[in-house]
Amino acid sequence: MSEHRPYGIAAEFDSADELLNAARAAREAGYRRMEAYSPYPIKELDEIISYWNLLPTVVFFSGVLGGFTAFYMQYFIAAIVFPTNIGGRPLNSWPSFVVITFELTVLFAACAAFFGMLFFAGFPALYHPVFRIPTFKRASDDGFFLCIEARDRRFHRNRTARFFQDLEPVNVWEIDE
Amino acid sequence: MTVLERQRQAARPVKPTDAGKPVVIAPGTTFRSVTDQIASIVLRKDVPPFWTWVFLTAALGVFMFIGAVAYLLAVGVGSFGINIPVAWAFAITNFVWWIGIGHAGTLISAILLLLNQSWRNSINRFAEAMTIFAVACAGMFPLLHLGRPWLFFWLLPYPNTFVIQPQFRSPLVWDVFAVSTYATVSVLFWYLGMIPDLASIRDRAAGRFSYWVYGILSLGWRGASRHWRLHETASVLLAGLATPLVLSVHTVVSFDFTIAILPGWHSTIFPPYFVAGAIYSGFAMVLVLAIPIRKAFRLRNLITERHLDNCAKLMLATGLVLAYTYAIEPFTSWYGGNQFEMAMVHNRATGPYAWSFWAVIALNVAIPQLLWWRSFRVRTVRLFLISLDVLIGMWLERYMIIVGSLNRDYLPSSWHQFASTAVDNMVLYGSICLFVVLFFLFVRTLPAISMFEVRELLPFSKPGGGTVK
Repeated sequence: MSEHRPYGIAAEFDSADELLNAARAAREAGYRRMEAYSPYPIKELDEIISYWNLLPTVVFFSGVLGGFTAFYMQYFIAAIVFPTNIGGRPLNSWPSFVVITFELTVLFAACAAFFGMLFFAGFPALYHPVFRIPTFKRASDDGFFLCIEARDRRFHRNRTARFFQDLEPVNVWEIDE
Repeated sequence: MTVLERQRQAARPVKPTDAGKPVVIAPGTTFRSVTDQIASIVLRKDVPPFWTWVFLTAALGVFMFIGAVAYLLAVGVGSFGINIPVAWAFAITNFVWWIGIGHAGTLISAILLLLNQSWRNSINRFAEAMTIFAVACAGMFPLLHLGRPWLFFWLLPYPNTFVIQPQFRSPLVWDVFAVSTYATVSVLFWYLGMIPDLASIRDRAAGRFSYWVYGILSLGWRGASRHWRLHETASVLLAGLATPLVLSVHTVVSFDFTIAILPGWHSTIFPPYFVAGAIYSGFAMVLVLAIPIRKAFRLRNLITERHLDNCAKLMLATGLVLAYTYAIEPFTSWYGGNQFEMAMVHNRATGPYAWSFWAVIALNVAIPQLLWWRSFRVRTVRLFLISLDVLIGMWLERYMIIVGSLNRDYLPSSWHQFASTAVDNMVLYGSICLFVVLFFLFVRTLPAISMFEVRELLPFSKPGGGTVK
């Protein structure tokens, strides 16, 4: 055991089933500050490890903003800055502004979805304590990890480690901060 | 009714529904084998000779393309065979053709994702890559056709000293926004999906350089459940945004034609007509790429007969929609009773470009009917040839619509024929080579098949084990 303050304790499993059981058991034991790492998304984990997902809201309002921006830009240019008489149509000929309004709505919303995802996930983040686990490369291949973080109120070096050992994982790792 | 008859009616033998149905992922595939197989395409030192030879041949074509474009920029668009009234010819034909090819990639990655068609998981990545490279090829043509491509930014609204602004009532300006939005959204969607797989490659990289490059590209992905949730939300939202976008892009492309009053262009059927044609040619390109690549890189367990079969069926279905619009077009001209429209229909079938019309009917309508037979959908050589046939047919269709309509407008005194020049041909061939070069580089440097989505297809990925639809 090192002298450093640990980031948390992680257990390594071989299957999604074992990971799910462990996550459920940890939640029942009262742990909240935990994170699961898996090579593909596991829907059932969403109920166990809660996350307040703001992304859809951000995307929606970005789309609305994009739509307003596009329409106002076209109105401003076609009716105020550079008014041109095209076949006697009104300057604010809004039906012909629909296409670009739609395109920019999509563009703004899509950029919000992509960059919002990076922002909420904290990316790019090339370093993270869990990368210290020697076998963590398996998390992008066939390994499943559950990490209980030291900031959890119930976290205790020995008790948390024992809790994991009872679940019979492949390995239990203590990770330095 | 006798007892025996009643018994026979009450209980019939039922054929097992899954029996004989080809699987999405071949049996024996595990998490480890998926990662090994897909990451090794990128990380291995040697490449199949097929890759090297095709790449080198296409690279030669790209040099020729650069030469032709340099000549075009130096001499001007007069080196195309265009004239008045045929002011749009190869460049715009190529543009519509390439952008249409891109649409099947978005259909596979976005629309089939929303429809929960999980079989698409092993072909969506390279279909998206196909979209991006096709849009890149498409985007060059309107710019080359501008005459002075270095002033392309005049198309955008920006404060300038001329005090001149774009004309937002013109479909050509809509096109600028539609195509640039489409290109941006496609790249974002593609990259988003690739982040977890880039992390898989990072974790397998042996060399320091590749570890570094894929490490930065994967942005530090670690597969945390909250990140997966965000990733999935973003993917589904992008798919939901890309779905109307892809339909809008080709609709806007067709507006370039329909809003003009030229006979043969001025028709309300154009938007669905163009979208169906786009998806048709796109699936043909997906198959033209998938068939050799699954053979060269031994991916037959991941891109199975089932994928070829489904793509061929979608190609057949969109081809039938297209055949319907071919039939409806002359009908509306006749029913509308406009003499110029009727003359156009007549000219299309018997005029100077009649060869292109009949070739389109043969290549796009007649020959693809062979896909009704299963052997043409799963036997790779046959399917490959039909797909090539559709790609050629769809190029000719756009040629027929553009050149075949432009060469005769209302005034016989302004009628003029078009003949392509060497620059026209070199730029078309060169763009195909550029597409091949980009695609082959992609296959070699980025995960061509989505690893994490294939893992989800494996039966033991679900808690308690599940089956794949």
